[in-house]
Amino acid sequence: MKKQTVLLLAAVVVLPLVLRPAIASEIWIFAILGLGLNLLLGYTGLLSFGQATFFGSAAYVAGWLLKHYGINVFLALGTGVFVGAASAAAVGYLCVQRSGLYFIMLTFALNQLFYFVAYQWTSVTGGEDGMPGIPRPAFLGIDFGDPLAYYVFVSALFLVSLWIMKRIVESPLGRILQAIRENEVRAEAVGYNVARFKLAAFVIGGAFSGLAGVLYAMLFGIVPLEAIGFVTSGNVVFATLIGGSGSLYGPVIGSFVFIWLSESVSTLWARWPLLLGVAFVIVVLFLRGGVVEAWSRLWQSSKQKL
Amino acid sequence: MAILETKTLSKAFGALTAVDEVSLGIDAGTLHSIIGPNGAGKTTLFNLLTGTYRPSSGRIVFDGRDITGTPAHRVAHLGLARSFQRTNVFPAFSLLDNVWVAAFACGTSWKGLAWRRTDRYPEVRARALAALADVGLAEKAGEAVREISHGEPAAGLSPEETKKLVALVRALKGRYTIVLIEHKMDIIMSVSDRISVMHFGRLIAQGTPAEIQRDPEVRRAYLGGVAA
Repeated sequence: MKKQTVLLLAAVVVLPLVLRPAIASEIWIFAILGLGLNLLLGYTGLLSFGQATFFGSAAYVAGWLLKHYGINVFLALGTGVFVGAASAAAVGYLCVQRSGLYFIMLTFALNQLFYFVAYQWTSVTGGEDGMPGIPRPAFLGIDFGDPLAYYVFVSALFLVSLWIMKRIVESPLGRILQAIRENEVRAEAVGYNVARFKLAAFVIGGAFSGLAGVLYAMLFGIVPLEAIGFVTSGNVVFATLIGGSGSLYGPVIGSFVFIWLSESVSTLWARWPLLLGVAFVIVVLFLRGGVVEAWSRLWQSSKQKL
Repeated sequence: MAILETKTLSKAFGALTAVDEVSLGIDAGTLHSIIGPNGAGKTTLFNLLTGTYRPSSGRIVFDGRDITGTPAHRVAHLGLARSFQRTNVFPAFSLLDNVWVAAFACGTSWKGLAWRRTDRYPEVRARALAALADVGLAEKAGEAVREISHGEPAAGLSPEETKKLVALVRALKGRYTIVLIEHKMDIIMSVSDRISVMHFGRLIAQGTPAEIQRDPEVRRAYLGGVAA
């Protein structure tokens, strides 16, 4: 097995021993959301500032079906993936018509549109109070109400998601998306329909974000309004950049850093986002590849010394 | 026989008509150069031919097929490829991957597009390597393109490199039909079968290099009307 795989499996096993299972679960869920964003941000070079649109829509729809129709867990996951992909198809179709700053503002504006729909539609979403009472139905006698059982479920889904994303970025599609990031005009000239490939990246990224949304709703038993808000969109961009965009494991590491800081340091120091701000400045100024790049630089220099 | 033809092709940007009713025929297997002073509309014409711009009026026929308004990515699949005025690559990719992306685009099937690993396409790799071997870069396939395209992309080529380029373009002639836009007159005159001259968006002359060199209107365009 490769070094990364071993480290990752070790992390999956160790994490619930050192952190509360709920927080450990949240790390992997946020990592799935980051994987979806990173296909756009890191691989295709599209800064989507509206990933919460797909995350939140999936959480609301699947949460509502879980709450009122008692659908089973896997149907809920399927619904989430579908809603995430479908909302991303709709948003992406509009956004890929523009590029640069206009693209970013469109993803943001459409995110706000979804947010205000959720905010106003109180009979379904609960508005500012959120949508509480989302169950975690048992499946085949496994009670997901047990935090550790749910953690195992979440981490297994995370590993599957990571494997699928690895296959995608190592496939021709992954290389074409990177080619678009590197040189859009040339990608078009050698024969790729750039707009359609960008849309594909949106839909796939949306599906991952949707999966994360459902898992999040079931983890906390509630869909808070913030789940679809731009702060969530910003947080995942933040975490991915800190971890290292453009590398497969970047958003995973970013998610760990982000959730761990927000859960552990926030109880000690209310101004913890300051730390994140400092980390972000360092990344933007000195380490464009985030933690992943820092790690590989350390690795290189330690090898040279030996 | 003309493989690529334009019929009263025009492109206007607001009040400026960059390409003005150009009717041009490019014969199959030839090297056809398009020359003209700066701002004559050469690049705009090129962008029209390759589908980057949509013409304001007129038609483009390629290989017996009307391709007017066909987007660039589809034109590429019909067998009409372009290279760029300035060095234009996928900077983060290795040399092989740069060519691989293009080889995959014009491959017969996109099977396994989102799932099969890129190293499981031996036929695409073989074609990419063959293309690199054609230009004498096969042994550098694994290198980053940044290390090969050293210097400023726009600064042009040294006389030594220019000679190599001319030899390369000559070798491609016959296998492909080539439309060339180039500013260095000595290259144009030595490699072209035919030359078309543009001035203020219009086609002012066409012919062999020898005919073009004698053409009084071409001399006027280049020397500002004072030439005898």
